[in-house]
Amino acid sequence: MNSIEVEHLTKKFGDFIAVNDISFQVKEGEIFGFLGANGAGKTTAIKMMSGLLQPTSGTAMVAGYDVITQSKLIKRNIGYMSQRFSLYNDLTVFENMQLFGTIYKIPRRELKDRIMDSLARLDMTKQANLLVNSIPLGWKQKLAFATAILHKPKIVFLDEPTSGVDPIVRREFWNLIYETASTGVTILVTTHYMDEAEYCHRISIMADGVIRLLGTPEELKKQVGVNTINDVFVEYVKH
Amino acid sequence: MKELRMILRKEFIHIIRDRITLLLVLAMPVALVLLFGFTISTDIHNARIAVLDHSKDTQSQAFVRKLSSSNYFQVVSYPNTETEIDFQFKENNIKLAIIIPQNFENELENEHNATIQVIDDVSDLNIASILNNYVRSVVQDFQNEYNQTSTLGESFSITTKMKYNPNMESVYMFVPGIITLIMILVTALMSSITLAREKETGTMRMLFITPVKKIYVVIGKVIPYMIISFLSTIVIIIISVFVFKMPLNGSILFLLLLCIIFMLTAASFGMLISTISTTQLDAMMITMMGLFLPTVLLSGFLFPLNSMPMIFQILANIFPAKWFILAIKDVMIKGSGFFDVWPYLTILFGMAVIFISISLKMLDKRN
Repeated sequence: MNSIEVEHLTKKFGDFIAVNDISFQVKEGEIFGFLGANGAGKTTAIKMMSGLLQPTSGTAMVAGYDVITQSKLIKRNIGYMSQRFSLYNDLTVFENMQLFGTIYKIPRRELKDRIMDSLARLDMTKQANLLVNSIPLGWKQKLAFATAILHKPKIVFLDEPTSGVDPIVRREFWNLIYETASTGVTILVTTHYMDEAEYCHRISIMADGVIRLLGTPEELKKQVGVNTINDVFVEYVKH
Repeated sequence: MKELRMILRKEFIHIIRDRITLLLVLAMPVALVLLFGFTISTDIHNARIAVLDHSKDTQSQAFVRKLSSSNYFQVVSYPNTETEIDFQFKENNIKLAIIIPQNFENELENEHNATIQVIDDVSDLNIASILNNYVRSVVQDFQNEYNQTSTLGESFSITTKMKYNPNMESVYMFVPGIITLIMILVTALMSSITLAREKETGTMRMLFITPVKKIYVVIGKVIPYMIISFLSTIVIIIISVFVFKMPLNGSILFLLLLCIIFMLTAASFGMLISTISTTQLDAMMITMMGLFLPTVLLSGFLFPLNSMPMIFQILANIFPAKWFILAIKDVMIKGSGFFDVWPYLTILFGMAVIFISISLKMLDKRN
């Protein structure tokens, strides 16, 4: 079953076409890499898929809902974590999770259990009452991810989730992603780290608002005739 | 509703953990009111003056006694010549000198036309004109008393009754002004800055991607600052009534209602500013230039509107401060009620409705 179906999605800002007629599907439980150079239109596409931005034309079904008419329902069923760390620095770890959990209408008692559970999984139980400000960046990113999936969304959008963190934390982060995907959650992730792209089930490469390439990492390497996704990317973004 | 409560709670945590801002927001009203009250007072007590009395008769001495028994003046010297007066002015020993000519009593009694000469130090225009007014009022008092005791009787006399502010206390002017400034600073400036901060840090986007209603996010950010500025207003009113003896002739409940309505107007302006600005700096500059400066300059609080060029008098109407100051002065000093000031209230409320609906429109444009 597909959890994301994008058909001829287009977004124009005046004369500028940010996203130009893109179409693709993402299956349930799939980890889909959404690659492209800066300014290729990834963020605009994600904004449209998450109901933040109205498309100029085309349609997209996300978690079974239409982005144009059912954006409210989409918001309930997706999680989002941005490239810039976006939890509140002056709230504690627990307060941050409590805030977002309450906004997603998780019942109070259950919310507390879920928070303690996910903190235990991150091995951050002891940090529950520390200000987010005072914990290292890598932990913050993991925490942001845990917060984004607290309400058990069907799809999680990760916008450059690992930028700026060290390789060990990146590895741990990808373990979290795999763990989450194995429970049937669909992951759409953008990244500039090409080794991470290799971890994805399938990837798409965007340039100038269109999807240039789409397939499994193996397929793409074979198609382009190179050994790494890094080379695939450089080849395709160059043209 | 639970979401709104949660956002409010979060906002209060932000405020409490930001110690410096909190201290500033709480201490500012008290500091401002004390500062204005004790320093920028335009009342003058015991101004040092010199009297050169050429007559030295009963009436002239009665007049000098009248001068020094008023609270306004303190006669510090009795020079004998005008050169001595000049010298005193140069030494900065006196602010004003009065010269009583010869035959003062005679002229007063027989010709009903005595004159005195007043010399002002106009290097400070404000002080000079205030002192001049004081002299005038002493002269009038003197005249009235003289007329009563005079057997001849006088054809007419002027009685001026200072209504509402008999002692011409400047506290009556600046208290409404400070309440206005505090409400604008705390409600409009603080709420527009914190909304812009969330845009800057990206947390706003985080919130907008959740199903929470945008209006909750905005209301949740504005209400805490409205509460703080409401408390500040109460503190200012208490200080001004008990320390500076500002009268409170109207209903206190109605006064507070008036403040709440103005706060709503200020908050709605803050909302509007935060929807058009993307950084805290933007929000601050726009609030300062677009709201704070016009409030200081065009509200009639420091500079009388009547003496401004027509264009500024018209311009003043579009800023909420003018209407609020008019209303609060009427309520505190004249004891006016709803039926006296409802036009001002309607204007303030109308402005709030307009600002809120524009900002909701802008928020709704999904971008």
